[in-house]
Amino acid sequence: MPTLFGPTAPTVLASGEPAVDCQSVGFAYPGGSPVLENITLRVNQGERLGILGPNGGGKSTLLKLALGLLSGNSGSIRVLGMSPNEARRAGAIGYVPQRPEAELGMPMSARELVTLGAAWKCPAWKRVPANVRERVDRMLGLVGARDFADRPAGKLSGGQLQRVMIARALAADARILVLDEPTVGIDAAGQRVFADLLARVHSELQLTMIVVSHDLRAIVAGSDRVACLARRLHAHAAPQGLTPQVLAELFSHEIAGAPGTLTGMHVHAHSAAECCTETQAPPSAPVPLGVSAERAGGGTP
Amino acid sequence: METFDLLTSPDQADMRRIVLTALLAGLSVVLMCGILSPLVVVKRLGFVGQGVSHSAFGGIGIAAVLAAAGWIVPGGAAEFAVIVAFCIAAALGMATLSDRRTTPVDTAIGMFLVGSMALGAVLIQASGSRTSWESILFGSILVAGNPEAIAGWGIAIAVVLAAWLWRRPMLFWTFDEESAAAFGVPARRMQLTLMILLTLAVVTAMKLAGVILATALLVLPGAIALRLSDRLRTVMALSVAAGVLGLVGGLVASIELNWQAGPSMVLVLTLLFGLAAAWSRATRSRRASA
Repeated sequence: MPTLFGPTAPTVLASGEPAVDCQSVGFAYPGGSPVLENITLRVNQGERLGILGPNGGGKSTLLKLALGLLSGNSGSIRVLGMSPNEARRAGAIGYVPQRPEAELGMPMSARELVTLGAAWKCPAWKRVPANVRERVDRMLGLVGARDFADRPAGKLSGGQLQRVMIARALAADARILVLDEPTVGIDAAGQRVFADLLARVHSELQLTMIVVSHDLRAIVAGSDRVACLARRLHAHAAPQGLTPQVLAELFSHEIAGAPGTLTGMHVHAHSAAECCTETQAPPSAPVPLGVSAERAGGGTP
Repeated sequence: METFDLLTSPDQADMRRIVLTALLAGLSVVLMCGILSPLVVVKRLGFVGQGVSHSAFGGIGIAAVLAAAGWIVPGGAAEFAVIVAFCIAAALGMATLSDRRTTPVDTAIGMFLVGSMALGAVLIQASGSRTSWESILFGSILVAGNPEAIAGWGIAIAVVLAAWLWRRPMLFWTFDEESAAAFGVPARRMQLTLMILLTLAVVTAMKLAGVILATALLVLPGAIALRLSDRLRTVMALSVAAGVLGLVGGLVASIELNWQAGPSMVLVLTLLFGLAAAWSRATRSRRASA
């Protein structure tokens, strides 16, 4: 596929190629104990995967390995048939970070930031091409950011900035959209709006989406499948397959220090099925969990 | 008015030439510092500038030893090259050694800063150099001659050209390092490029304001501009304009009041920052009450 300004990225759209394919991935920081053990996970193109797990469970590490920001893992990771570094250089992944990473004092408008994501490779002596500017405008419209597109980034609310960051990833023409803890600091109403936004983006662009969170509601609301990660992969199934037993196992090591609570996990609903019904059409065969996540956790030794 | 006399009187031709050469050399510095300054402020790199400028002390020490051995001529281009090379090595050392877990960036900068100062002090003394400590610490723009002005403009053009050529990936990286890297921006290259550009600007600025005050030229113009605007092009233009005002105001104060030029410039810039901060606060409260 010809990229906007660089050389061809030959395998980006290879049909049938999984978007992300992890085989027996393990990782430990130097001198530390393993953060990831034997993770085998396949994300098909166009699929929406939620990665759920407690703080310190290895979600961000797996994300950084797939983004090519970390290296040194065992096993193999392929992104659209490429190594993570090749995929990164080809601009295959659009990354939406948590808000605190950005320098909000930067004197740039939302539109300029989105344009940078799409046109950072554009030679300095050339104007940003008209088709790129049009796409930037279309993506700002798609995420509902056109009204505040010319406002400085530092004057945007958390939710507005989140939309701008998504528009930046979309305008860069990435095939995989990765969102890291997208609902941190957003209230319940805002989360519903956000879930609708992601559903709209997915249905319009048919992107592969990976959402990483420790928030059960955020994950269940917008995922075709959920990977439960706490150093190992505890489950990889449709949201209705998230049984209380899986959740209890997933969060058990956090619960050990504070019996009866789920520290670090922001659970706002009592079951995965309830999360689904609150935010979007329920899964085809919702399975009532019967036990709240809190009770499931509290019952774990 | 001493300044008016100096600019018009036929008797003052020599002094006029000195001041205009200083002004020419100074303009090269405030141009490149003005362009880089908003990035320095936004990315909180002020202490990096301080670290690099103080590291120059080590380079001055090495140059003094080489001059005493007869290998280079004091005050010549080779001396300047030694100082620049030492500062670039120190800047890259700071970037390479800093590690979020074991050696935070401020610790790495602090180590290079004090280590270079100590090395410089020992070597300058050992070389028997008669270098003026005052001019090292506070600058001596009025002794800048044509070679300094030409070197200043050469470096300024190179720095501004590099900043313009890499502005898109550099701005992306400045806003959000991790995202930029995930989008394929060569983050490490951006970091090293910015460090080298900052080093070149700081080392050249030392001629004006000395080791101690050089950072002011890299921090204050951007800080002033960011108080007045939140549009990138306006901020860049205001930053350069603030630098020019500081330079001219400092030279005029130096002529009128017989103050040292470097500290005078920094005082003018500090005054401008105070005015900009007061103006932005007044504007904000007016908007809030409207």
